[in-house]
Amino acid sequence: MIHSVKISKEACQGCVNCIKVCPTEAIRVIDGEINIIAELCIDCGECLRSCIRNKALGISEDDWNSIDIKPDSPIIADPVFFTQFGHHSKPEELEGILAGKGINVLVDEEEDAFDLSAFATAQLISRTPKPSLPFISVYCPSVLRLIESRFPELLPRVLPVRTPIEMASELYKMRTNGKVAPQTLLAPCPSKITMIHEPQGVERSPFTYGVTVRRIARGIMAEGGKQEEAKPVTKNRNNRWIAWARRGGESMHVQAFSDKKLAILSVSGMRNTLDLLQELELGRLRGVDFIECRVCDTGCVGGVGTADSRFLANLRLGNIETNWEITPKERARAEELYSMDFWPISKEYQPRPGLPLSDNVADAMAKLQQMKEIYKGLPHIDCGSCGRPSCQAMAEEIVRGHGSVTDCIFKLREGIATLANKIVSLSESPLHTVKRKNNDENK
Amino acid sequence: MSDPVCLEYRIEGNDYVDAGTASNNIKNTLKMLGVSSEICRRAAVIAYEAEMNLVIHAGGGNIKATITESDLFIEVEDKGPGIPDIPKAMTEGYTTASDEAREMGFGAGMGLPNIKRNCDKFDIQSEVGKGTKLRCEIDFQK
Repeated sequence: MIHSVKISKEACQGCVNCIKVCPTEAIRVIDGEINIIAELCIDCGECLRSCIRNKALGISEDDWNSIDIKPDSPIIADPVFFTQFGHHSKPEELEGILAGKGINVLVDEEEDAFDLSAFATAQLISRTPKPSLPFISVYCPSVLRLIESRFPELLPRVLPVRTPIEMASELYKMRTNGKVAPQTLLAPCPSKITMIHEPQGVERSPFTYGVTVRRIARGIMAEGGKQEEAKPVTKNRNNRWIAWARRGGESMHVQAFSDKKLAILSVSGMRNTLDLLQELELGRLRGVDFIECRVCDTGCVGGVGTADSRFLANLRLGNIETNWEITPKERARAEELYSMDFWPISKEYQPRPGLPLSDNVADAMAKLQQMKEIYKGLPHIDCGSCGRPSCQAMAEEIVRGHGSVTDCIFKLREGIATLANKIVSLSESPLHTVKRKNNDENK
Repeated sequence: MSDPVCLEYRIEGNDYVDAGTASNNIKNTLKMLGVSSEICRRAAVIAYEAEMNLVIHAGGGNIKATITESDLFIEVEDKGPGIPDIPKAMTEGYTTASDEAREMGFGAGMGLPNIKRNCDKFDIQSEVGKGTKLRCEIDFQK
């Protein structure tokens, strides 16, 4: 499995900050360095966020300088990209400047694809019987991977609509009759870059390259956008697709295409996402039509691959002129694209195979009992000193043969105390050849 | 032949906050043992519906799950009001849930029928004023 979080071996000091924040307990410290278990990682970037002291974690992206990007090569920019510039906060202005630099962002296709996604979602919600609702948005790929790992029973509720980012790319291919120009995605996070290498819902990703929003945006900020070079944009942009950059944007878009008022929940941040999915799993969210979750705080603008403050990006989003009234022409366009039927996923989402304790149920049962016994003897404080995120994880690793009880520093100390007591009692045991001093001698 | 895995839970009546945690725990244990996902799903439904019945109707009770290599037994016991008419309680849509429970979305009248549908052997005993006992079995071989 390919992941997009990379570790610098020299910088990593083996502290336990990242192992504690990983939502799937995917990280271990071994030999003073961290190791991310590929089968468990969901590319959310929480570990990256937490590595403040040593800056040992980064995003693995394609090298913008060396990839084969000719001027006007097609680029799909995540909506976040349009929120990153203080000086070009009007999207039309930024579009013009990018065009002037030969950076061909496919805004036409993105507007259409995001409209299509919202339309398809609204259609699905209106046609689905209440007991099968709510639908869960997986525009955030880490939410999908989180559900596949931790909440596989919720997979039937996941929206079976392709992500608009990929649909924009497919639209471009269709319009250029499949001319095979490699397409690049500007992503705000490792999660969306991993989508290129490990696509979900489709056999192959339409993208060839993935570069972070930070890399390109910082490059542009450094150069400065010269107004003279900018190519003017003549089209009227509704800018609805850019709203997806923050929490609630997708929901507003879906509502805009719905005939009736929908009950929608939109949350951001790992804690809120986990809590909401847990509530859904326990059957507590009756009456809700649609759920939007983003693992990054305030939405994609809070991704670890962005160039600017998520707070300023949110502010700019509030100031972008967005037209939420769908014109008849726009609705007809969405209906036309919908009827072309390329919006449904073509590959069913699958649960991530969990790792049972053994291939054979009898052996697994014995191991489970052993694990419970071992867990009972551990201190239950989840300190991380053993290099595992919790005492439960430590007990599990011992039973799987990946560690021993003395990896726990408290068990080690206990062991030393027992040995020390043994040494003391041995040192006090009588020697038969030496007379033992007793009370009679003191009389 | 290894010892069966026994899981026991005490469920509090009217505790809608923790309701569902015991059945979740049973399901996760089955997953860790490598039991097939279809059986995990059926066991989760049985345990969940039984747990909710204890919370909504019985004023609390006990759930015991026994897992062997070949089957799963779920036994549920309470000292609640008992069920006066068991065949009626087993009909889909029939519920005696309180207004409070129904306001929260429970009380669809599908609990006992769902349990019966998902197990291979189903046994229910009840006495008004004394309590109710449920015993369900899932055979892994089937």
